[in-house]
Amino acid sequence: MDIAIEVSDLTKDFGNIRALNHLNLKVRSCEIFGLIGPNGAGKTTALRIVSTLLLPTSGTVKVFDLDVVHEAAKIRKIIAYLPEEAGAYRNLSGWEYLQFMAKFNTEDKGVLRKMVKEAAGISGLGERLKDKAKTYSKGMKRRLLVARALMLKPKLAVLDEPTSGLDVLHAYHVREIIKRYVKEQGVTVLLSSHNMLEVEHLCDRVALLNKGKIVAEGKPQGLKEKFGSANLEEVFAKVVGLA
Amino acid sequence: MLKGFGNILVKELKELIRDPKILLGMIIVPLIIFPVLGGIMSYSIQSAQEKAEKASVLVLNNDGGNYSEIFINFLNSSVKVSVENNTTPKEALAQGLLSRYNTTQFIEIPSGFSANMTEHIEVNSNITASVDFYVVFSGTGMFESVGSSMIDNLVYQFNRAIAPDVVHSKKSAIIKGEIMEGVDPSVLSGLMISQSIAMPITIMILLTYSMQIAATSVAMEKEEKTLETLLTLPMDRFSILMGKLSGSIIVAGVGALAYMFGFNYYMGSFMSTIPTGASLDLASLGLVPSLFGYLLLGISLFVTLLSALALAVIISAFSEDVRGAQSLVGFIYPLIFIPSLLLMYLDVNSLPLALRIFIYAIPYCHPIIAAKAVTMGDYWTAVLGIVYVAAFTLVIMYIASRLFATEKILTAKLKFKGLRRRKRTPAEELQ
Repeated sequence: MDIAIEVSDLTKDFGNIRALNHLNLKVRSCEIFGLIGPNGAGKTTALRIVSTLLLPTSGTVKVFDLDVVHEAAKIRKIIAYLPEEAGAYRNLSGWEYLQFMAKFNTEDKGVLRKMVKEAAGISGLGERLKDKAKTYSKGMKRRLLVARALMLKPKLAVLDEPTSGLDVLHAYHVREIIKRYVKEQGVTVLLSSHNMLEVEHLCDRVALLNKGKIVAEGKPQGLKEKFGSANLEEVFAKVVGLA
Repeated sequence: MLKGFGNILVKELKELIRDPKILLGMIIVPLIIFPVLGGIMSYSIQSAQEKAEKASVLVLNNDGGNYSEIFINFLNSSVKVSVENNTTPKEALAQGLLSRYNTTQFIEIPSGFSANMTEHIEVNSNITASVDFYVVFSGTGMFESVGSSMIDNLVYQFNRAIAPDVVHSKKSAIIKGEIMEGVDPSVLSGLMISQSIAMPITIMILLTYSMQIAATSVAMEKEEKTLETLLTLPMDRFSILMGKLSGSIIVAGVGALAYMFGFNYYMGSFMSTIPTGASLDLASLGLVPSLFGYLLLGISLFVTLLSALALAVIISAFSEDVRGAQSLVGFIYPLIFIPSLLLMYLDVNSLPLALRIFIYAIPYCHPIIAAKAVTMGDYWTAVLGIVYVAAFTLVIMYIASRLFATEKILTAKLKFKGLRRRKRTPAEELQ
């Protein structure tokens, strides 16, 4: 199986704080891989390094064999990144926002139209796409942003807490979008979440992150069986010695 | 009493006072800026008075009679007088007598002065004598007309000592080395005030407004986390910087045009009520910049604007949100306001050397200096200013582009050690 992301001995320091501590990770092509852990575990830092936003202090990260430090521009052509709690431009309508983002990936008007139409379908926002983003609820905004990330048909979608702050219904909708789209388009997804129950249902494989280190990795079912737990939350508690 | 009011008030005060940006921007900066402005005003007035007291005047005595001697002696009791006999104003200019005697004004006592005085005193009080007063107009500040008003006063005192209304003074301005007969320098100075005030104020507004726009634009991207998305898109990161700068320039430019239009209307509405100035046409006097002058002024304004915006972008990169960015940019305002106000009242060349170097070192002063210089036909000052500001802009743009090219745009934070009990670390912010 092809490797989409290969993280080797990755360390990231912010001053005296070590956010990632000799991290090793492999994400296979066309799988949904979840990084899970509590706040401050280093999930966002890892995702930002994969997305070429931050540089590693040491170690290497390769995305489809491209190095995040030396081949960042090439990586940006094949990824889509969705930050946690990101917003859209308040005074642009949903349509305008999608068009603006699509223009970075294609100059062909036909392709652009198709891309935006597809995003409109993914978001399920319908006529509300004509309204300014500042009038959207949190759930609508998140659906717009997820649609933006997926419409580009990236080889890798990096989604930081994709359902963060959403109610049950909106979170369900966003999860369904991701699941469906990945299967249809063969996209690789690297996502982070501190909602372990959600990840259990969405991800093919997961890595449990604590204090910048991976403490367990595998298929959700396999991990539950290995630790004799009913869910990933319990697995995590056992791994870090809380239970 | 409102229930809970006291509790809310205490919380608000704690929040506001503990924010170092507000503490510095709202309390400490005004505490510095107003005394500095007061100092500038008092220095401007004091130096104008000193200049008037120390003024020397060249007298072209083409009369040679008794009364011309009496008049010269009278002037000599108040100002330093140098005398040249039988020289016309044009000859005085051609021979460079003004620079030789280190003065910017001269009085011509025309032939027949003493005869007219004698006639007035002994025969017919309707006959009067006149002197012609010429002042070099340099368009340098609001207090430029102090010198000419002093001569007015001396003529008035001379009349009181000899006979009422015996001597009249006819004033003319010397503009760019040419004598403009009958153009009163003090009226001209009054007319030029609109220019000497309008330009600094317009530039102040333009710079501060556009800096706010640029800083807000970057901070908004950080606050809404749209910047993170932008930075992962397949595009040149320099394009993000240039796009932001250009957008801010366009919006600020439209704002400045609207402001200039409104301000000119405002100035015009009260300047039109000054009847003596109505007949003066600044364009025909050569006191409106040429096309080349306007071009230089435009370039000067553009490079200054670009450097200010790039600086605002750099500063806003160190803030976490819009409020923080606006407060941080506020620290640059004294560097714009103080020199602009200084240049409204004073000629930069009349300042002490250290202050002059300080003013020239601030890039935001150069469009104001250029505006005055091109009006007076001094293109070199404008060109040198452009070269300096362009070099400064290049450095700032390079820093800004490096900031956008690296993770610093996301991780940079200003630390105000000791002002906060505890600040969240970058790692905590990012995780």
